[in-house]
Amino acid sequence: MIRLTIDGIEVELEEPVTVLEAARKVGIKIPTLCWFEGLPPFGGCRLCLVKVEKLPKLQTACTLMSADGMVVETENPEIRAARRAMLEFLLINHPLDCPYCDKAGECELQDLVAKYGPEAGRFAEGKRRHPESFDDPIIVRNMERCVLCTRCVRVCEDLQGAYAITVTGRGAHSFVEPFSGGRYDCEYCGNCLTVCPVGAIMSRLHLHSYRPWFVQKEAETVCSYCGVGCRMVVQVRENSIIRTIPRFGLGVNDGLLCVRGRFGYDYIEQKERLRTAFIRKDGELRPVSIEEAIEYTAKKLLQIKDTNGPETIGAIASGRCSNEDNYMLQRLMRFFIGSNNIDSSARLYYIPIVQYLERIFGQGVTANLMPGIGRSDGVVVVGGDPTRINPVLGLQIRACHRNGGKVVVFGPSGGLKRFVPYELRPRDDEALLVAVLKALIEKKGMPGENKNLEERLKEIEVETHDVLREASIEEPLFDTLVGDLLGLQNPVVVVGPEVLQAERPSRVLFLVAGIVYLLGARVFVMSDRPNYQGLMDMGCLPDMLPGERPIELETFRHKVESVMGRPVPDKAGMNLFQMLEMAKEGNLKALYVMGDNLYYHMPDAEEALQSIDFLVVQDIFMTETAERADVVLPAAGWTEKEGTFTNLERRLQRFEKSRTPLGCMEDWRLLAELMAHMGDERPPRTVAEIWDELVQVSPLHIGINPREIGPEGMIYPYHGEPLRGVEGEFDVEALKGPYGGGPEGLRLILDRPLYHSGSQSRRSRALRSLQDSPVLCLSPEDARDLGLEDADMVRVTSSKGMLKVKVAISEDVASGTARLSNTFSEVHFSRLVGIRQDPVTTGGVFTDNLVKIEKLPSEGSEEVME
Amino acid sequence: MEAFLREVQEVVKRYPQKRAAILPALYLAEQRFGWLSQEAYEAVAEALNMPKATVKGVATFYSMYRKAPMGRNLIQLCTNVACMVMGAETLLQLLERRYGLRPGGTTEDGRFSLVVMECIGACDRAPAMLVNKDFHPNLNENNIIEILEGYS
Repeated sequence: MIRLTIDGIEVELEEPVTVLEAARKVGIKIPTLCWFEGLPPFGGCRLCLVKVEKLPKLQTACTLMSADGMVVETENPEIRAARRAMLEFLLINHPLDCPYCDKAGECELQDLVAKYGPEAGRFAEGKRRHPESFDDPIIVRNMERCVLCTRCVRVCEDLQGAYAITVTGRGAHSFVEPFSGGRYDCEYCGNCLTVCPVGAIMSRLHLHSYRPWFVQKEAETVCSYCGVGCRMVVQVRENSIIRTIPRFGLGVNDGLLCVRGRFGYDYIEQKERLRTAFIRKDGELRPVSIEEAIEYTAKKLLQIKDTNGPETIGAIASGRCSNEDNYMLQRLMRFFIGSNNIDSSARLYYIPIVQYLERIFGQGVTANLMPGIGRSDGVVVVGGDPTRINPVLGLQIRACHRNGGKVVVFGPSGGLKRFVPYELRPRDDEALLVAVLKALIEKKGMPGENKNLEERLKEIEVETHDVLREASIEEPLFDTLVGDLLGLQNPVVVVGPEVLQAERPSRVLFLVAGIVYLLGARVFVMSDRPNYQGLMDMGCLPDMLPGERPIELETFRHKVESVMGRPVPDKAGMNLFQMLEMAKEGNLKALYVMGDNLYYHMPDAEEALQSIDFLVVQDIFMTETAERADVVLPAAGWTEKEGTFTNLERRLQRFEKSRTPLGCMEDWRLLAELMAHMGDERPPRTVAEIWDELVQVSPLHIGINPREIGPEGMIYPYHGEPLRGVEGEFDVEALKGPYGGGPEGLRLILDRPLYHSGSQSRRSRALRSLQDSPVLCLSPEDARDLGLEDADMVRVTSSKGMLKVKVAISEDVASGTARLSNTFSEVHFSRLVGIRQDPVTTGGVFTDNLVKIEKLPSEGSEEVME
Repeated sequence: MEAFLREVQEVVKRYPQKRAAILPALYLAEQRFGWLSQEAYEAVAEALNMPKATVKGVATFYSMYRKAPMGRNLIQLCTNVACMVMGAETLLQLLERRYGLRPGGTTEDGRFSLVVMECIGACDRAPAMLVNKDFHPNLNENNIIEILEGYS
């Protein structure tokens, strides 16, 4: 126990902390500039100077550890004079351009000078000059204002792990710069501008467009980009977003954001937003009022239901929409149409991966807390680059490495490159997985907990050496890897979408599950949409009711029926692939698509969508799918409605409404209106009313009042502990091998880039300023073999089509593969490939993806060649 | 590039960890690239497995690395008290007349760069200069040209 006195107050400490932290514990705020919570102390600004009895000179409270018997004074004339002197030094070079500076009003230097002075400086020499840098599209640097607290450099190195900026030069001529001296060319997380205490690093998006005191309204919200669910605050004036800011100490992201979250919010206010409903008349979409469109839709749906039967109607839920929206969509389908045909794009990878793991390990196996990744002693990553798909989750993996943990990546390490001691780039991921699994079984033995799984594991008959040779992995490297894995006490496995991109996806997933089991690891599944987990929980599954209760079980159906007073269709519905197949055969008469651009990102969807008699699309933009619809309903977007998301750790998070949209309606309200026209006498009219019903219907959500969900969200119902130990049935294809192999040639793979996420990010000017055109990413080896250089134009041909695109050579691409994203309207991945449904996992496997790449003679346009 | 990597590997051996070799590695890069260009920083970063921004940050902290393109030969002429008294300023004027060379500048043909030094510790043999690593004392208007003509 340490006892010290600070300003006459006795402080008792269990653990030694700095004097600064000790003072904060008892509510004494010592002024600081370079200190920042979460960053290691720096001791550079000298503003936290305090007087410690028996020490001759003033001490910096941020670096001084408290000791027993210390007597500390934090304010007296001597200290005030010292602080004033430090500030006077800073003001020698800091320009007094406060009237022009965006930071004025929330500037820490301004506040400190207001408190301590000096009123005027005594230095007559001119200030150093360093012109403001506008070299970067979204970050402005004004190094004349920099006070060299180095918070930005430290956040970039210690928390973001990007090492993009540094202090160059020396003394008064030190400036913070990215390597290029101009453009940042970094991950653009923007965390440097969060921590800048002055106006030295600012966002260009809202430069000179506001003053901090113009903020009329702040709404706490959850980012709309990926499944991490970062908390942020949206600041609004005159019904328009000024900016988004994170708050330290809040949410899973704890003050950190990624490029999409911080800068990509402007899509929501683009002119292209739908402001009216449309009905197709004489082959053209004509604007109509929302009421008219809803009435028309209700009439048509009822008509089709009566004529063709409810099973000819389907719906697509959205990972971008809230829990409430998704709940209402399945409510419409089940109780007012009478069909279980409801699914979503989460079917492509998220649902199959989660459900497969749940079948092996029990429900909620992925309900683990993200900060646990940073605290674990080892992370295994398989199936994608978390620093791009879920960037803030990726930071946790970097934190794990920084804390001494082992990071093992199967495949190219991408954004984790600096954090992976040995990079495993096997020719074949599956072969490596099976080799690792075998080695773990041999060296560790079976834990004996999951009999079902163990019996299947025993069926694997391969010789480790053979597979290693096949995977072209060197044995010493492999032995270190296995040794590292065996030593882990508290490991984590992060699974990404690409695990399903194999000949036999179930086998890869099974191997991953085997590794999870043998390591006793917690498992996380990456999710590139904010609410994939939520839509599952809300029952947007063809075979599950809300709360993920199987439809085939009568007890669950009865419970729901008694609440709703309406029958639940007892036959499981069609999933995404089956619905599209039905449509091609002409058997799906109507499809209700909410917030999903199916036509764009689903290969081969064109024929299916064209065969549907009545296509309703509810979206915030006129997407490629909406353009083909019979009715388009304009939906309210992110921060334009209140509601909840459930992130990939199954944390239920509430978000507030920040602004009122014009000419559109919340998704759930559009659906409520529709149901009202279809015989619903009491459709929910508020989010609270939806929850009143939901908590009765879904056993997962019993007892939740969404209003009571605090800023930390709610881990429900798992409380961060997965329900392990349930042994289920699962299938694996061809467990005995052979492993690896697959067709020879260059395979086209879906790229999931950092700066973009699809048809939403495409409409963000900020994100487009970072990347404005599609690129085909190739490994250096393949580029060399093809005689290609960076930025060359190539023609990519597959059996499905051909397009022209610019090449980007990247270390992050495995040789033998080329990556193209689904981002830009014409040149994108889905145009070149086909897709099939894996019968075991029900996930999507891209087919026809062997491509030929030819160099084009000169810089051509990016238009598609038909 | 591979030769450079080998040189750096040699230097790295003298230190407990790779990044400790950054200053000598920068010096090697300076010799190989002529000056510390962006390319040179990147080469050092790669050789030491360090972030390139960090390498640049370290290099720019030190004033004696060449951070701008330099001539093939660097003249460091002392103009401190002893050298000044013994006529260093006349030598400066001479260099400008003869080669168009001013302090901090480089000749048009890239042959010489000139830096004015604060005392090189040769007051007993003033005025003195360094050309690259060679020390030249007791300069006068005649022998300085003679010496410099020996550098191409």
